[in-house]
Amino acid sequence: MAEKDFTLEKITGDLTHHIRLNKGFLAWMGFLTISLLVCLYAYSLQLKNGLGVAGIRDYVSWGMYLSNFVFFVASSLIGMLISAFLGLIGMKWITPLTRIAETIAVAFAAVAGLVIVSDMGRPERLANVFIYARFQSPILWDVTVITTYFVLSLLLLFLPMIADLAIIQRKVTTLPAWLRTVYKVLSLNYRDTPEQNRIIHRSIRILLILIIPAALSIHTVTSWLFAVTSRAGWDSTIFGPYFVSGAFVAGTAAVILAMFFFRKNYKLSDYLTDLHFNNMGKVLATVSLVYLYFNLNEFLVPGYKLKRADAVHLHELLAGKDALLFWFVQIGGLLLPILFMLFRRFRKPVPITIIAVAVLIAAWFKRYLIVIPTQEHPFLPIQHIPENFLHYTPTLTETLISIAPFLLVLIIITLILKFFPVIPLQETAKEKGVEPFIFD
Amino acid sequence: MRKRNLFIVLTGLTLSFPFMGMSQTWDVPADQKEVVAPFKFTPGIQKQGEQIYSKNCHSCHGNPGKNDWAKLTPPPGDLSAVKAQQQTDGEWFYKITTGKAPMPEFRNVLSEDERWWVVAFLRSFNPGYIQPEPVAKKVFTGRVVTLNLTFDSTQKQVIVKAYDMLQDKRKAPAAGVEVELLVKRYFGNLTMGSPVTTNTQGIAKFTFPGDLPAQRDGFSELVARVLDPKGLMQTTPDTLRIAAGKSNDQPSLLETRAWWSVRSKAPVWIILTYTLSVLIVWGFIIYILLSMVKIYKSGKLK
Ligand code: HEC
Repeated sequence: MAEKDFTLEKITGDLTHHIRLNKGFLAWMGFLTISLLVCLYAYSLQLKNGLGVAGIRDYVSWGMYLSNFVFFVASSLIGMLISAFLGLIGMKWITPLTRIAETIAVAFAAVAGLVIVSDMGRPERLANVFIYARFQSPILWDVTVITTYFVLSLLLLFLPMIADLAIIQRKVTTLPAWLRTVYKVLSLNYRDTPEQNRIIHRSIRILLILIIPAALSIHTVTSWLFAVTSRAGWDSTIFGPYFVSGAFVAGTAAVILAMFFFRKNYKLSDYLTDLHFNNMGKVLATVSLVYLYFNLNEFLVPGYKLKRADAVHLHELLAGKDALLFWFVQIGGLLLPILFMLFRRFRKPVPITIIAVAVLIAAWFKRYLIVIPTQEHPFLPIQHIPENFLHYTPTLTETLISIAPFLLVLIIITLILKFFPVIPLQETAKEKGVEPFIFD
Repeated sequence: MRKRNLFIVLTGLTLSFPFMGMSQTWDVPADQKEVVAPFKFTPGIQKQGEQIYSKNCHSCHGNPGKNDWAKLTPPPGDLSAVKAQQQTDGEWFYKITTGKAPMPEFRNVLSEDERWWVVAFLRSFNPGYIQPEPVAKKVFTGRVVTLNLTFDSTQKQVIVKAYDMLQDKRKAPAAGVEVELLVKRYFGNLTMGSPVTTNTQGIAKFTFPGDLPAQRDGFSELVARVLDPKGLMQTTPDTLRIAAGKSNDQPSLLETRAWWSVRSKAPVWIILTYTLSVLIVWGFIIYILLSMVKIYKSGKLK
């Protein structure tokens, strides 16, 4: 499609027509809500009967809930990579992706906090984390940075959207009156004045810079929850960058998946073009290569020294009980995607989306492999314990409770990108060089 | 056929999921079931049992008859209920003695008599209960040894005297008894040197090491006990507090500011770094929130 074919009417129409209550949306939300209720029922069982309903026991006390937590924090990092990093170094093509990336960041960061609560035996004592907080504890740092990152991401989602909200309120006349009032309130009286634009621009600048250290710290601190212990498999000085680079892989895949979905369902192929998929393919290849590099370090160096505890741990991972999962994750989630991404034809929407799904699944199991096997290999011999303490097997209740956060994330993403334009309106109009909106 | 097998396996798996982590049955050996208490369950004994119960069992099993046991998997259950009361005294005694996770074993926590007291207490909730005829325990015929600890401060020697307690309540020096000496440390007891066998006068001597750090108050607490791995004797250890050992002027681990310490003892630089980072970032966040107010105000039509 040639640039000159874009008019203000077309852009406004294309980018806002999905803001309506259609059957598909209601059915999807209904499905998500009912599934969530089932999972919440499972959680009520845990509240009533205690953490014993999960497969976690004395030795493996961090199970799927904690793998989930690491995965959620990881996926939320993508907001920073796309908007802040690529944006600040001047990549123009990211404009249509920024809102998707920020929404993913907001949704995953918001839910990450809840995931931790699912691992608490006495969630009503959550406030004690703050009341008795020790400045020396990475747990306090983690709680702090995740809250901060969530707020920063929320602002970074909202501020660039103010102009769009003002446009929707004026142009999308089909909406019910109350909804237009909501947009009006949210649009903060925006009328495209030089002063308003200056304030918004400056605020976004500050956010883009702040969010980089905030994002790096959320995942670095999360990695420290493991790395500050001396357990085989966690006792590593490169855990911070190892986690961060892994997070970019998971997040990039999540964005590709979302791009594909919204492009198809919201008919946005004029805006989310093959070029964007192609570029995201290159981003995926790059971050995966960085991650591969850290993986190499993480396994080769202890594997060379083979200290006693590391030897047991590595053997179980590479050739023992966890080997199948390990090689699926490393080959299916890392090596093959890198290989495929080298070819242009696999960076087309359909193949890259299929690969992104594989990468995301592998990314979850990667977190599982980071969290659980280490705990099955303690330094002291395991003695005098019941059989089910030896190996961790997730229970059905635990699995349902672990699915809940995914449903919540989907609900949040669905709602945000249903009621707000998936593609930034005003920015797109500016970039396509069409005449400006008139804000009376 | 293959399809049916698969179906059975799958249903089996699905059905067994919710039960993962649940208990297997708790089997009591047949001869243990028959064991009976060595004394009659009198109201006085039941009263003593009540005290043991409220200290050791109440936290999990709750108040008998109130169904307010702790939420554990598997559930501890109410011991005054029919299901529990149907079991024999021997079964109960065995279960209390050996435990089964999460129920702890009380073998080393409660004496045999104390375990029977609890059983007696719990039976008081069962009006239909008739106690089987008590069988007194066989009289112990092995060696009964007591120890006596003294400290010779000039010689820096710890002297342990072992006595055989004879049938007629007389004491006689116990020769050939292996004795070990321990000193109390922050966590548990530390064995001092190798065990010593008592001589014909029933005496075992240990040299007290001069460089052993004493407690903060300058004292050391000693424990002497008989080594009797086969359990052939009835022995009574002895303890002694002596003013000996190197005076300990090391500051307590909790006195200086450190990573591992409590919040009020956090290193200053960590408190500063944390607080400053939070203040700076949240300062900007508040600034941006205020900017949003400004956007709102400047957009008002005059
Ligand atoms: C840490 C919690 C805990 C404590 C403390 C505890 N129990 Fe238990 N108890 C349990 C649990 C859990 C079970 C169920 C075990 C099973 O069925 O596998 C149980 C089972 C029992 C049973 C067997 C009941 C049956 O129906 O088979 C008896 C008897 C019993 N406990 C007595 C005691 C006594 C007496 C004490 C105190 C001396 C005590 N328990 C302390 C948790 C506890």
